[in-house]
Amino acid sequence: MAYIAMATGFILILIGLFGALTNRNILRMIVAFTVADTGVNMVIVAIGYMHGRTAPILDVAVSAAEAAARIIDPVPQALVLTAIVIGVGVTALMLAYTYKLYEKKRTLDIAQFTELKW
Amino acid sequence: MVNALYIIVAALTAAFLLGMLKEERRATAYAITLATLAFMTWISVSWVWAFAQEGAAPVEIFTAGAVPPFAINLRMALPEAALTLMVNLSGLLAAIYMKDSLFRLGRSAMAVFLVAVMAYCGIIMTRDIFNLFVFFELVAISTAGLVLLSEDERALSAGFKYLIVSQVISIFLLLGIVFAYHATGTLNIDGMANASLGLLAGGTISFFMMFIALVAELKPFPANGWALDIYESAHPSYSALFSAAAGTASLYAVDKLLLIGGAEWLPMATGIGIVTFIASSLLALPQTNDRRQLGYSSIAQMGLVLVVLGQRDILGDSTPYIAFGLLVSHAVAKAGLYWISGLVAGRELTDWAALRGHPLLIFAFVSFIGMLSGLPPFPSFYAKWELVRFLAGEGRIALLALILFGALVEAGYLFRWFGYIMKRAAPAEPISCTPHQVTAVVAAVAAGWALGYLWGDLSGRSNLLLVLPLLFALSFLLLDWLPAWVKNTLAIAGMLAFFAFTFAEYDPLRLIFAVIILVGGAIILLASYDAHGRRVGFYPAAMLMYAGLAMLIRATASFDFFAAWEILTVGSYFLILRGKQSEPHALSYIIFSLGGAFLILTGFALAAQGAPQFDIASLSHLTAPLAPWVFILLAVGFMTKTAAIGLHIWLPGAHGEAETDVSPMVSGILLKAGLYGLFVLLMTMGKQQLYGVELTHVMLWIAALSALLGNLMAIFEEDAKRLLAYSSIGQMGYALFGLALMNHLGWLMALMFVINHYIYKSMLFLAAGGVAKRTGTRDMYKMGGLITLMPFSFIAVLIGIIAVSGVPPLSGFGGRWIFYNAILSTDYRLPLIITFFAGPIAFLYLFRLIHTIFLGQLKDEHRKIKEAPFWIVLPQMIYVALLMVVAIFPGIVLRRVDTYLNQFFPEGGLNWEGLEISSNYGYWNPVAIMIVVCVIFGTLFAWLLFVNRKAQKVKQFNIGFSAERPYRPETTHFAWNFFAPYRKALGFLVQPFVTRFWGALTDFLHTGADLSRRLYNGNGQTYAFHFIAFVIIVFFVRMGV
Repeated sequence: MAYIAMATGFILILIGLFGALTNRNILRMIVAFTVADTGVNMVIVAIGYMHGRTAPILDVAVSAAEAAARIIDPVPQALVLTAIVIGVGVTALMLAYTYKLYEKKRTLDIAQFTELKW
Repeated sequence: MVNALYIIVAALTAAFLLGMLKEERRATAYAITLATLAFMTWISVSWVWAFAQEGAAPVEIFTAGAVPPFAINLRMALPEAALTLMVNLSGLLAAIYMKDSLFRLGRSAMAVFLVAVMAYCGIIMTRDIFNLFVFFELVAISTAGLVLLSEDERALSAGFKYLIVSQVISIFLLLGIVFAYHATGTLNIDGMANASLGLLAGGTISFFMMFIALVAELKPFPANGWALDIYESAHPSYSALFSAAAGTASLYAVDKLLLIGGAEWLPMATGIGIVTFIASSLLALPQTNDRRQLGYSSIAQMGLVLVVLGQRDILGDSTPYIAFGLLVSHAVAKAGLYWISGLVAGRELTDWAALRGHPLLIFAFVSFIGMLSGLPPFPSFYAKWELVRFLAGEGRIALLALILFGALVEAGYLFRWFGYIMKRAAPAEPISCTPHQVTAVVAAVAAGWALGYLWGDLSGRSNLLLVLPLLFALSFLLLDWLPAWVKNTLAIAGMLAFFAFTFAEYDPLRLIFAVIILVGGAIILLASYDAHGRRVGFYPAAMLMYAGLAMLIRATASFDFFAAWEILTVGSYFLILRGKQSEPHALSYIIFSLGGAFLILTGFALAAQGAPQFDIASLSHLTAPLAPWVFILLAVGFMTKTAAIGLHIWLPGAHGEAETDVSPMVSGILLKAGLYGLFVLLMTMGKQQLYGVELTHVMLWIAALSALLGNLMAIFEEDAKRLLAYSSIGQMGYALFGLALMNHLGWLMALMFVINHYIYKSMLFLAAGGVAKRTGTRDMYKMGGLITLMPFSFIAVLIGIIAVSGVPPLSGFGGRWIFYNAILSTDYRLPLIITFFAGPIAFLYLFRLIHTIFLGQLKDEHRKIKEAPFWIVLPQMIYVALLMVVAIFPGIVLRRVDTYLNQFFPEGGLNWEGLEISSNYGYWNPVAIMIVVCVIFGTLFAWLLFVNRKAQKVKQFNIGFSAERPYRPETTHFAWNFFAPYRKALGFLVQPFVTRFWGALTDFLHTGADLSRRLYNGNGQTYAFHFIAFVIIVFFVRMGV
């Protein structure tokens, strides 16, 4: 199970990177990056998974005393939460940029924004 | 002590507070921002003080009431304190600088700014790898926001390109972190380091991903196009922060990461660093946009510091001293330069000519490029010395050569830029600056100098900012508002006083140099009384050169010697640059000189074999196989200063185009620095052999060719001062020849040339300068018949050429006489014959000098000119008197030196009996010669007067004349192309092969760089692809290793 998730994650990352590097449309690039981000998140979660264990939530089902033996590693999950939040922030910023870029040149072709070079 | 966590707390609190303010309360918002930054700076200051002065122990800051690995921890120790201080202070100053922009954009911009500074501090302090990632993402987001502060619309696309690349980077970083966590079970950096990540399954690959992501933040070549675009288009004050603070933080992050990776990743860091350093330095060459060039320079400096981090295995405990030395110099200088760029309206490098007329800004600029080029007394200079010492000591010569090559290229374009500022036409738009903008620049300058003092203090060697001559020279910066004559008097008094106080400390050899530099320099300065007004910038430069010279002859340790060498080089560069047309020549001078200085540095470092410094005298203890290499490096380094053939192309322009009173300084005095170096070298190391080749023999050949070709080039020169300059190449050739003979008389002859060349070349340059001042030209064929109008200048030139040509009775003959004796006692026939033939060639140009300028027909436009100004004539007359004295009583100087030389060459000295001097081959009686020559001259002169008494005077225009109007009138002048027949016969020898060689080399570098920089095509996607390519290359290099 974890391996399938991890493999899927890596495939998503590769798809995302491929998409970001081959699509010249800025919006498509951003979408591609979110795909890659999702892939990264899947990989992180998959890494934290331990076979046969339960979610890292302390309640009636799992008491604090036996938590260490029964729950999966909670740290990657915490990391994923942070990574998702950051990803949202960056995506939002990129979209705002896209809006501005489009306003300026009426195009979404990344190859049109090359006035700074060399 | 305030908990360092408050750096982060304060920034976050203030940022939220700003969000609650009303939009229109800009002043309050700005006040909050500044106060917060000031508070953050104060926390850093207090920690730096605690660690450095009170010896406090490093502090671990735990969060969430738990210890790692269960919670994030941060650390505050001396490096963190110093680095956060750099970040916070540059943040504070940047915010002060961009007050107007922040006011325009309001509280949200200020909040983002605070978050950026906080994030940099977070990167520095955190010990948790995931926390590091979070701070990096904060930096990315805030960077993308702050780039938009710019008024340049193109910043928009730059910010987006940055976001694209940072997305790719963060994918790698996250994957690396999570796999490293999986392998080690901790996110704590020290925990990972203790767990030896590299040995665990998947450890290497996870480290690789983290490493590559963090290194990418340092903008390694070629994955750095996005950074260049930001540098070019962002608000200059943000670029300042981006260069100074972001680079600093990223470097420290890499440094922490290398803890985890261990020694096996150090070569990788070195490799990436050096490639980036060289590539960025080269690619900056064809730049014309100021901010983009600074961007290239920033990237190069990051690369250099990365090299230092990568060399930790040999640098050991000195790593922080070196890395910080380079880093603070870079940060201060780059921030300052970006701030200045905000004051300049145009974006071309040449637009910076607007700075001219603002001495404070010029001084700031000079300080900054001094820091970037690693010149004394800045921290980077001490760091450079240490770095080179370790690299040479451990035999990492290839890396050392690459570093010095990159540094030379960088210094080249920085000084080229300074040339533009001083010499190019000022643009229409003047400098516009507000007080708070100037505050930031001044603060950077002050910080740079203060750090120079601190680094000198920590160096364990001499603190250059405490050396008396240098302080004296620098004090003229503060006195520059005084009129020139007051400063001139002070300068003369200072030099003579220094000589008087140190008089007793010199041995006879050094005494001669001391007299020439300090007393001789004072005599030349008499001519400077002729200048009017304030002559801003002249005295600091001139005194810097003299300070360097004085320090050079007093130096006993290698470090002091080298520092003095760089100081005199820089001082003379500023002096030479003052000439009207001297921009290209000053540039080639500084490049050759710095190149030579780097060779000397390497030579010293090799000789030191890892020791911090050594006594120059102990060069003699070196043995093969090292010794000949040290000898070559030092000899070539010194020969760049004496303009030996092949390294001479800077001299004619530099000396010829310099101001009237500067030419004698740089020719009569400065050239002697090279000879002094060679004296010291040969005194200590003597003869060396490399692969069976006697190196002094090679030197003999170089000297002979310099003498021959220097003189030959002089005879074809139309420009009087350039003629004298070329003649110096020949004269230095003689002196070098004498030295390379390696016998008693050879050295005596070299010393004789040191003295004579100072006297007559100073005199001739002053005379030629005086004439050029009156006639308004230096082309000799445009002059003529000036003998009656400028009699004193005529006398000076007449005496001068008699002395130079080495005919009796003047002191030049003494030099010749010793020369003939010296060569009789050696077996090197061919170079000897060449040098011998160079003598008659000197007659040709000397004859031309006096004949064309003073004899012949007076030009119409010169009928009313007067004798050269009094203050220019006065030193010439002093020199005439001096020449007479030295001619009649050579013993007063030579005798003591002759005795002194006995300790090196006991054989073959001269015998001094009364007024007669004799050697194994003959005798020389200066007084008798003087009497004989005077009697003959007097008799002939009287006879001439007698037979001429009935001669009819013919007026100048009493001639018949009819011809077509010549197309170029000067071609019909007898003095134009004076020695055309000789050119036909010998011209092939003076084809500018050497000039073409160096020209082709620089062209090659330029064209290559211009083609390569097209790699950065401006497309954000290509930049992302560059990064991927960079990852793949590094991966394969790493796995291949």
